Amino acid sequence: MPRYALLALAAFLTLAAPAAAEDKPTLTIYTYDAFAADYGPGPGLKAGFEKTCGCTVNFVGTDSSIGALRRVQLEGASSKADIVLGLDTSLSGEARATGLFAPHGLTPAHLTLPSAWTDPDFVPVDFGYFAFVYDTNRVHTPPTSFEALAAEPPSFKIALEDPRSDTPGLGLVLWIKAAYGDKAPAIWAALKPHIVTMARSWSDAYGLFLKGDADMALSYTTSPAYHEIAENKPNYAYATFSEGHYPQIEIAGLLKSSPHAELARQFLAWLDTQPAQAIIPTTNWMYPAADIGGALPKQFPAPPQKVLGLDEGTITENKSAWIEEALAAIR
Amino acid sequence: MLRSADLGRPERPFRLLAGTAFAAAIGLLIVALFWAILSAARARAGGEVHLDVGYVLYITTLQAGLSTALSLAVGIALAWALNRLRFPGREVVVGLFASAIVTPGLVVAFGLIDVWGRAGWLGGLGVPIFGLGGVVGAHLVLDGAFAARILLGRLDAIPEARLKTGQSLGLNAWRRFGVIDWPAIRGSLPGLAAIIFLLAFTSFPIVLLLGGGPSVPTLEVAIYSAVRLDFDLNAAVTLALIQIGLCAVIIVASSALAPVATSVARSGQPRWQDAGAARAAQWIVLAFALFGFGAPLAAVIADGAVSVPDVLAESSFWSSMCTSLWIALGSSVLSLIVALAVAAASAAAPGRALRTLVAVPAYAYLAVPAVALSLGAFLLVRDSGLQPETTAPLVVVLANALLALPFAVATLGPPFEAIARSRGRLIRALSLGGVRQFTLIEWPLVARDAGLAFALSFCFSLGDLGVIALFGTQNFATLPLQMVRALGAYRSHEAAAIAALMLVLTIGAFVAIPKLFGRLGDAGA
Repeated sequence: MPRYALLALAAFLTLAAPAAAEDKPTLTIYTYDAFAADYGPGPGLKAGFEKTCGCTVNFVGTDSSIGALRRVQLEGASSKADIVLGLDTSLSGEARATGLFAPHGLTPAHLTLPSAWTDPDFVPVDFGYFAFVYDTNRVHTPPTSFEALAAEPPSFKIALEDPRSDTPGLGLVLWIKAAYGDKAPAIWAALKPHIVTMARSWSDAYGLFLKGDADMALSYTTSPAYHEIAENKPNYAYATFSEGHYPQIEIAGLLKSSPHAELARQFLAWLDTQPAQAIIPTTNWMYPAADIGGALPKQFPAPPQKVLGLDEGTITENKSAWIEEALAAIR
Repeated sequence: MLRSADLGRPERPFRLLAGTAFAAAIGLLIVALFWAILSAARARAGGEVHLDVGYVLYITTLQAGLSTALSLAVGIALAWALNRLRFPGREVVVGLFASAIVTPGLVVAFGLIDVWGRAGWLGGLGVPIFGLGGVVGAHLVLDGAFAARILLGRLDAIPEARLKTGQSLGLNAWRRFGVIDWPAIRGSLPGLAAIIFLLAFTSFPIVLLLGGGPSVPTLEVAIYSAVRLDFDLNAAVTLALIQIGLCAVIIVASSALAPVATSVARSGQPRWQDAGAARAAQWIVLAFALFGFGAPLAAVIADGAVSVPDVLAESSFWSSMCTSLWIALGSSVLSLIVALAVAAASAAAPGRALRTLVAVPAYAYLAVPAVALSLGAFLLVRDSGLQPETTAPLVVVLANALLALPFAVATLGPPFEAIARSRGRLIRALSLGGVRQFTLIEWPLVARDAGLAFALSFCFSLGDLGVIALFGTQNFATLPLQMVRALGAYRSHEAAAIAALMLVLTIGAFVAIPKLFGRLGDAGA
């Protein structure tokens, strides 16, 4: 019964909606909600691309980037999506393995990523480095490594994200793994007394930190720039870790099933040019993937001296085991 | 075998049919949701569950059991105190208490942190709010006040005649509770206990925020992880069925206990106050409760007040408020209609088994994991050939109505049962039809409770947005979604202001809606 009711109402809604009379093609991009929302880069990118493409850009925001991928997987070949945007390099192997993405055939130029970009299926959107952010008014000598953090008194607290529900949480698992390899569980166990919580999402953990219930939160090296630019508060900084920092590169890929493959390819090409990338820093608070020269706000910090990395295949193969290993160490 | 109370009931085949039809529709929808997930799962491999299910169930049950027992104990004490005491601003206080449960759990959790956290108002006391204690504490704030509000409704409905008799017998305060109050609230306890247990059992963001790490696990996060991170739908269905099975035991057990007849009447102002130690105890209970429940909510409002003007100046706030209001209106109307039908059918049912059968599906949605619900809804909509983007509002209305249904049924069930027991013979003797039975006898007596049920659904819907995760939402923003977006974009001040405004809106609705329904009931009498 509810199904028929749904059908009837949908029919009503369709009749009520004005017919999309224009012949312009619609480029449909699945992404995470924050990217598509008013505060995010979505509206700016839409306006920018529509100026030249003779098309309508439709950002469809699901609750998370992984949700966008799952939706495409569930829809399969019948998906209306042309592009999935917002996955990151810790999920790219899995996304590739779905076989849903087509090679983009592009060679984005003037990239500013931590390493050369050779991915045939995905183009970079923006990137950041995971880091622990602190308030310089409260913490005067931040720890300089995971080991130093572990050696802090137990009253020194950090707010983390659950790796099963949030990408920065997964990022920390990879970060510690990249830095310590087989010794990762020992580091996790040593961190345990400091973990105030593993929140469901970045915003919960960061909120806990802003309220003062944690001395540091797992976030990005670019987070302090937000406070300085948007709130005029220069008292936030990130702790430089001597092990190095782990990058998160957000990516976009073209779907094989895309009905507008050429248009989608044009969008991906445009995405890595200066006009598009200049929108990123103050809407997504990440580094642009390509050089935007003086358009990068000066409050954005220089990249960390040492950058870590893991091989995509190894991540895809071991992700679940590493998460389990980290959780077991602090259970 | 029919008991004497069942024999006096008027026969109402239409009510039974309508109630059973709703119950069956709800049950079918759940089956359809799982069928949709399972058919999507069939295409994929996997299905091993990497999880110590026994340990997770043990901790989750312990946490939910503690939350339920404490919430009921506190709820009874607080309802008792509020029933006796009269003071200026009492209605606002009652509205404040009731609004805790419908405020997004995370907002309340952050309010608790404002008060008890390290940097909070009382941070110096060093109360440990992270860990099992913190999770139970947050659930106590959410659910204890809700229990008090529902039980207060039962106490306020005790007939004046009974109070007069008690008073003339010179019952002392404690005997009065045992002889007059307890029988009036007993019938509502099993339903309440079931709801609170299910809410605590399936709580996900609060457990992660206050649990202090993976040592306080929850089945919901494992299910979420299976659906999202691993995309192992078989494992997700297995875990979801474990959760539903366990919750079903609780639901069936509680509705087999319920309902016990409770009195219904519109009492005047009960002016029989307790004296001495009991009265002192009531003031103490009220003071503690006001602080315990009020302070976190007050903290939410204080926290957000500064940025309220900025938020009010944004057109996006007003459009999302409009969306939220009509969604809330739609789902609360739907929820009230279904709840009235289910409660009336359950009260008309001859025999306990049928009564349980009719009422149980109403609770079912509390047991279904949110991520399974949203995945199933998405798949169902797609399988029906509909566009997820266009159907999103409709799905939200439907899902919110179903999520609020247990609250509405728990509120309306006991009074309908009481009417069937106490007025059944009268209704038969007068040979009233079903419609006249409703308009002449039932509506005037249940109008206030219906108002409460409506207010609960309305506010519950106002604060909830879990079901359309995959639907695509940029043209469809509700207040809670706006809040989450602001939080996700570092704009914690805006988020705090939206939370404060939502809370004020909720309290206002809780004070105003039951009053409005009370008037409607009076007009019908």
